[in-house]
Amino acid sequence: MSSEPFDSDDAPPLTETIAPGTASDPPLGAEDAVTVTVDGTEVTVGSGATLLDAVEAVDTDDSVPALCQYDRQDIGPRSECRTCMVETDEHGVVPACSFPAEEGLDVETAAADAAEARDVNLDLVLSDHNLRCTTCGKNGRCDLQDAAIEQEVEEPRYGVLGDREEYEPIDDSSSFIQIDRNKCILCNRCVEACNDVQVEGVLRMEGSGQDTRIGFQNGAETMEDSTCVSCGHCATVCPTGALVEKGIEDATTIPLPGFTQKNSVGKVIDGTDDSKEPMTPKKRDLPVDTAPEEDKEVRDWP
Amino acid sequence: MSLLDTDRTTVRIASREAETAIGDVLRDADSEVHAVGSTGVPAVEPLVLLTEDGRTAFFAACSVGRAEALLTGLEDGFDSVVDGADAVVEHDPNAARLPATDLPELSAGQRTVLGPCGWLRPTDPDDYEAAVGFGGSDPETIRELGAEILGRGWGDWCQDRTLADSWETAREADGDPTVVVNAHGTGADTLLSSSAPFAVLDGAAAVARATDAERIVVYISQDDDHAVDQVETAVWGYPDPPVSMSVVTGPAVYRAAEPTMAIEAIEGNHRLEARLRPPGPDETGIHDRPTVVHTARTVAHLAAALDTGSPADSRLVTVTGDVAAPATVELPERARLAAALDAVDGAEEYKAACVGGRFGGLTDSLDVRAGPESLLDAGLGTEGVVELLGEDRCVVKFVGERAQFAADTNCGRCVPCREGTTQLAELLRDLYDGRYRRDGIEELIGVMERSSICTFGVDAGRPTRTAMTEFESEFHAHADGRCPAGSCPRKAEVSTT
Ligand code: SF4
Ligand code: SF4
Ligand code: SF4
Ligand code: FES
Repeated sequence: MSSEPFDSDDAPPLTETIAPGTASDPPLGAEDAVTVTVDGTEVTVGSGATLLDAVEAVDTDDSVPALCQYDRQDIGPRSECRTCMVETDEHGVVPACSFPAEEGLDVETAAADAAEARDVNLDLVLSDHNLRCTTCGKNGRCDLQDAAIEQEVEEPRYGVLGDREEYEPIDDSSSFIQIDRNKCILCNRCVEACNDVQVEGVLRMEGSGQDTRIGFQNGAETMEDSTCVSCGHCATVCPTGALVEKGIEDATTIPLPGFTQKNSVGKVIDGTDDSKEPMTPKKRDLPVDTAPEEDKEVRDWP
Repeated sequence: MSLLDTDRTTVRIASREAETAIGDVLRDADSEVHAVGSTGVPAVEPLVLLTEDGRTAFFAACSVGRAEALLTGLEDGFDSVVDGADAVVEHDPNAARLPATDLPELSAGQRTVLGPCGWLRPTDPDDYEAAVGFGGSDPETIRELGAEILGRGWGDWCQDRTLADSWETAREADGDPTVVVNAHGTGADTLLSSSAPFAVLDGAAAVARATDAERIVVYISQDDDHAVDQVETAVWGYPDPPVSMSVVTGPAVYRAAEPTMAIEAIEGNHRLEARLRPPGPDETGIHDRPTVVHTARTVAHLAAALDTGSPADSRLVTVTGDVAAPATVELPERARLAAALDAVDGAEEYKAACVGGRFGGLTDSLDVRAGPESLLDAGLGTEGVVELLGEDRCVVKFVGERAQFAADTNCGRCVPCREGTTQLAELLRDLYDGRYRRDGIEELIGVMERSSICTFGVDAGRPTRTAMTEFESEFHAHADGRCPAGSCPRKAEVSTT
């Protein structure tokens, strides 16, 4: 009895074959149309609205990057980057992208605590980001780059992920999509695009702490061995250079010999050539790998 | 028949283990011998309690030899052995709780919520019925008490808030509510689940009545086998359960006690991360249905309040860290935390205490009242855990290890916690390189507190923040290349990359 997960007769179990590894968030957003005040301007937003809908409707005092937010196709809010914090009179500092709009709420974007939280969190995103824009396939059309420019980040407080030893290899094994996890901001858009929109059940969130990464539900190590059907939806929604369609991964790099995106990381997993077919039935048959959580080794101090 | 109603001499053996070596010896006595679960204070266990006609003799930390002597002595009757007891007390012949004694380890605080622990057979419904009584209070009475009781511990959705609002939310939400008893992780919750499982279930049943819930799920770490067994047995033995009751285990990782991760685990998700809020689980919880989440402490407190008519003005406090064995006692809210130290051996000298669980606040003085307001005013945590650091411990190392623990074991979902804890650990490592940036550390911790999704990230910086205030000279000393405790390597030996 104790080891059985809780199930009930009238609620459907988690979709049997899809295990994205993410939490089932509650429905977020206002129940009805409500009016809130953002930086002194009243805005009325419709049912289902979050504070970000209101923030985006006015010319705010301070810019709110809202980096991980994606406002199309029922993806998100993941509300993980916390670069959308705003101050409210009732609830203090809250994440605008996932906080339900509430009648009469007064929102301030320029309040010091909220502005500091947005800045620090953006710097924290950059601290774990391989910021080599000049060899990145998304240079010039990247949400993180846009946010950093707009916030006038000059020297991120915590530096950037510059230690080559710590880089994860680029997964270049698929002939359709390339993964560079060193540029991933864990916004979960790709996982939702893959599971909730395309219902393919390929991608998932895995690990915890600094090991949190996008992975594959069949437990494969590489994109080539995953059950990917090459629909490309994940690359479309990815805000950064983490998921890029093959062929354009070097499109924006400086045209100098050796100055390539692969060289920028140095470690690359190549494909095996023998299975360029997108998805074989065999891969689909692999069991979904859902090993339960275990205690992790904690790094020695100091 | 209940243990309280007997006329004969009763021998109780209070111990975490149901089977003890002294139990084998005393079984031959011409009296009833019963295993009654742990008192919460292992230093006195196994504890033999001999009761006759409203008198109980205490034999603490009873060895096999002592038990054999007791057995022989008992042949000449109760009076012939009381002289050898560590304490003898007189009490109501049908005493419902372990009687108060001046035995130092057991003298700390009171035993209201802890009443059944070490006195009743944990899984015997007759004992609980006779001592406390399975409550049939009407929902209105329960809700009134719920408006006075604060949730206990970070595993409680209503931590430091009254329960009644959350119940109201659950009642008004769509669907039949579920009551989750979160007994994952904290010492006092494990103690209550093991030693007083009926108090836990009875309290949960009261919450179910107050919220019109249709089921109760007790959630326990899969490593706490004993607690799991005890609660499962109590579920089977519960007389006429008003709603369905079951036990579900979760992974033995710290974060699994967070209320929404508990719900994820109960739903069977293989990977645990926190859910966004608001709305909270009391509106949309297990399988989208309203779910109230309380710790075992909270519901046991409610059960005791229904028994006595008003909430006990007390807090369960577990003393752990550099002590011989952790102990759990019940302190009046106005008592000083220092009073809890009587229950443990080895607490004479300590340099600091981390008050409030893994991510509690550091202090050098336990001269602070146990109630939540005083603790919060002092910058400490209300988890009900006092972790002692002995004289030879390094505070910087302690908070560095806590920051690293947070960095390695967070769920990975939100940036302020996932990346913030990592950078916090790095900023603390910089001390070994001669850099102490207090402003930067405070700025980072402030942002973690104000923008993390769940309590894990909100609290993760507290050990560091409080230590920088209370023990700042140690931070400067480390930046100068010196560890006053002598336990950190000098900077030349540390690579901070
Ligand atoms: S993803 Fe590429 S373009 Fe965007 S910030 Fe990172 S390196 Fe620069
Ligand atoms: S790969 Fe792209 S879309 Fe997917 S989580 Fe990372 S940044 Fe987001
Ligand atoms: S605060 Fe930490 S544990 Fe909580 S959701 Fe964020 S990353 Fe996860
Ligand atoms: S946009 Fe709100 S948390 Fe990322």
